[in-house]
Amino acid sequence: MPKELKSPTSSANTAQDVQGIWGMVVDQDLCTGCQACVAACSMENNVPFVGEVDAGYGRSMQWIRIERFWQGSYPNIKATPYQPVMCQNCHNAPCEPVCPVYASVHSLSEDLNLQVYNRCVGTRYCANNCPYEARVFNWRDYMDPRQRPELVTLANHFNPDVTVRRRGVMEKCTFCIQRIRHAEDTAASENRDIRDGEVVPACAQACPASAITFGRIDDPTTKVSQAADTSRGSHLLEELGTIPHVTYLAGGA
Amino acid sequence: MSDSNTLLAVFEDIEPAADGIGKLHELGVADENMDVISGIPIRPAILERPSAVTRVGWIALAGAILGLLLAVFFVWGIPYLFPLDAGGQPIYPVPQLLIIMFEMTMLGLMGFAFLGMLVDSGIPSYTPKEYVPEISDGRIAVLFSCPKEEQRKFVDALTKLGAKSVEPAEARQL
Amino acid sequence: MSAIAKALPNLRPEEMEDPKEHLMHDPLPRGEMNRMVLESMHTTTWKYWTVVTILAFLVVTCLGYAWYYLIMQGLGVSGDNRPVYWGVFLVNFVYWIGISHSGTLTSAILRVLKIESRRPFTRVAELMTAFAIVNAGLSIFMHMGRVWLAYWLIPYPNERGIWPDFHSPLMWDFMAITTYLICSSLYLYLPLIPDLAMVRDRSKGWVKTFYKIFAIGFRGTEGEWKNLHLAMNIFAFAIIPVAFSVHTIVAWDFAMATRPGWSSSVLGPYFVAGALLSGVAAVPIVLFFVRSTMKNMKYFLRPEHFDTVGKMLLIISMGWAYFYFNDYIVPWYAGDKWEKILTLFIEAGPQAWLWYLMLFCNIVVPWSVLWRKKWRQTPWLMAIVGILINVGMYTERYIIVPEMSTINRMPFTWHIYIPRVEVILTIGTFALFLLLYFAASRILPLIPNWEVQEGQEGHILRKIGKAKIPTISQID
Repeated sequence: MPKELKSPTSSANTAQDVQGIWGMVVDQDLCTGCQACVAACSMENNVPFVGEVDAGYGRSMQWIRIERFWQGSYPNIKATPYQPVMCQNCHNAPCEPVCPVYASVHSLSEDLNLQVYNRCVGTRYCANNCPYEARVFNWRDYMDPRQRPELVTLANHFNPDVTVRRRGVMEKCTFCIQRIRHAEDTAASENRDIRDGEVVPACAQACPASAITFGRIDDPTTKVSQAADTSRGSHLLEELGTIPHVTYLAGGA
Repeated sequence: MSDSNTLLAVFEDIEPAADGIGKLHELGVADENMDVISGIPIRPAILERPSAVTRVGWIALAGAILGLLLAVFFVWGIPYLFPLDAGGQPIYPVPQLLIIMFEMTMLGLMGFAFLGMLVDSGIPSYTPKEYVPEISDGRIAVLFSCPKEEQRKFVDALTKLGAKSVEPAEARQL
Repeated sequence: MSAIAKALPNLRPEEMEDPKEHLMHDPLPRGEMNRMVLESMHTTTWKYWTVVTILAFLVVTCLGYAWYYLIMQGLGVSGDNRPVYWGVFLVNFVYWIGISHSGTLTSAILRVLKIESRRPFTRVAELMTAFAIVNAGLSIFMHMGRVWLAYWLIPYPNERGIWPDFHSPLMWDFMAITTYLICSSLYLYLPLIPDLAMVRDRSKGWVKTFYKIFAIGFRGTEGEWKNLHLAMNIFAFAIIPVAFSVHTIVAWDFAMATRPGWSSSVLGPYFVAGALLSGVAAVPIVLFFVRSTMKNMKYFLRPEHFDTVGKMLLIISMGWAYFYFNDYIVPWYAGDKWEKILTLFIEAGPQAWLWYLMLFCNIVVPWSVLWRKKWRQTPWLMAIVGILINVGMYTERYIIVPEMSTINRMPFTWHIYIPRVEVILTIGTFALFLLLYFAASRILPLIPNWEVQEGQEGHILRKIGKAKIPTISQID
């Protein structure tokens, strides 16, 4: 990873604000494309099912998707490694400044992109400006049992830590910010720092191959920092200078 | 001219109106006691009248400055009061300020030009005024005040020059 | 000697066209002209009311009910999907903003340049501006996911302490369009005041009350004319850069995004040229229909006015082609991977026919028709050219918005966009535009009578040598 494209260690206003910059490493050599992360993410974050028709039309709302391509023409085809894509939580996020109502703002202390659901008016400019197409839009009230009873299969199983979004709101992967907050609160009540590996997002938790590592990237001793620093690492669309916080490892196997 | 009457002389065309105004000057009616009402704008020099004073330009300029200040408040004042970070862009950006400044300046300029036009002309006003509907058919009306006792003389002089009617002006509901 | 003799049989005295062909040299008594305009406003036939009824029905169903349905169901009933977050609503928005440039250009620019033949048809174009901006605003509101919260874009102090973000191009857009809507409405209203006063003088009863209120007690005193004139001058000069800025900012909504195809520095002026093209092309359409359906309009709107618009249209069409080629050749030559795929998709993809349609309507049609004076002076032909150019410009916006956003840097998400409820709502906005225009044609005097009369007063035929040459004197 070129040094100049690394996140600055801190862009917080004051030293007290620094709570840790979070990052992720996805090892494409380990990923089996099993979609367990997709299912776990949907359960954790109350991501609605959109139904067959809408999903077929490109409206599926999963915050993480497994991309897979074929290279060459039949019959000489070769599959590319599976590529799970979620919000890259860019340091210079193109989605943020284009929102007219500050619904998409930056957390200075943690260097995360925040999406404020109840401020969103649904201009969808952020989604247009996201080069990773990581944002998803609530095209309908998918979570309203009156509208689509067959889709709301887990109505009584919502995660109480995460808002249920209604129609017309943009959303995206949050790095499971509710889990980060929970760990922070626990650590604060026990008067200690957050331990490495204490925060595990749903996708990483569910991954059977342990292809996803999560942790603080401002601390060089964490697992995620060490994993990111290998020669196999790269960022998606690095040339755009968005400085994403997700590093992909590939080509070493 | 404490004891004076206001008369309304109606002319068919520009030429007799210009003659009539010349006559009124001769008879000693000062320019500020005269007004011309016409259906189309006529250059004052044609009628030998001084150019009307207008403050619309200054009012518009004031509006432009007001709009400019408002833009500075929008783009720099609001983030000063409520700083929020978005996309690594500066809190006090200059290019965005220029854009908003341009729009607000133009809005102030044109909005106040319109308001200035209204205020300076004393409109909207729905009180009765001296007017005849034929003016919008191309007649030109000259409104002037003259001493009460000399009214006859004025009426005769203007009628001779081609005025269609010279009558005491009466304010009526438009 | 022999050369002259040879030329003689072809030597016709004109060249000398009949000056009476020009409205400015064919004056009528002013009272008569006022009567003609009033008559055109008061004459309604059963055809008029039939069309108005149909339009009103379309507005209620296609705009009112369809929008209600869209709001209640969410944008799922539209055709937008993951890569194509901006669909036909944005196409309509850009299109209507483009149409709104008709009034500004034909009115403000021609006024500033003192093009005399503008006089009778400025208001016909300015009305389009006002109604088109209304439609553009509606299109944006239709596009929003939670339109009931649209007021959050207004910068007002609130207890939450959250203001709109002026970093966002959408905020620039919001400010620019607000400015443009207010200013162009005032610019429409200013020259209307003397005409409203004229109508006021000639109406009775509650109608008179209506015009009395809107004529705001205007009489036409020297001071009033002077103020009106200065204000109109300020507006004419100031509204030109505002109109340019509005469409530049509309272009920036796209150009600021990090997307292949959109991220282009020439998009601003290119959009302005496109807006002028579709806006000015809309003028002959309206001129044709006003002229052929309303009473007495053949006196005011003449072939010479179609000629003026036609000449402008030809130049603007060339300007558009110039900017389009700029926008096309630079990424093509640079050979960026994504731009290459996008170009291929537009020119050879499943919707490639749109691209050829655009080039045909925007370049082939105007360039092959508008160079000839006789054709420029044929109203029905000009109306057809105007309609075709508008089809071409609508297609151009369709290519830029949904087609270009189909291709992005994440091939996994590519998806073709198919409009759904947008089609009905588009019909609704067009019906609303026409309905407003139909209503205005019977409420407002469509011809700025005092400006025409002012012009006729200043136009004289002066005898120079053996010919009478049209000359213009400025009486104001």
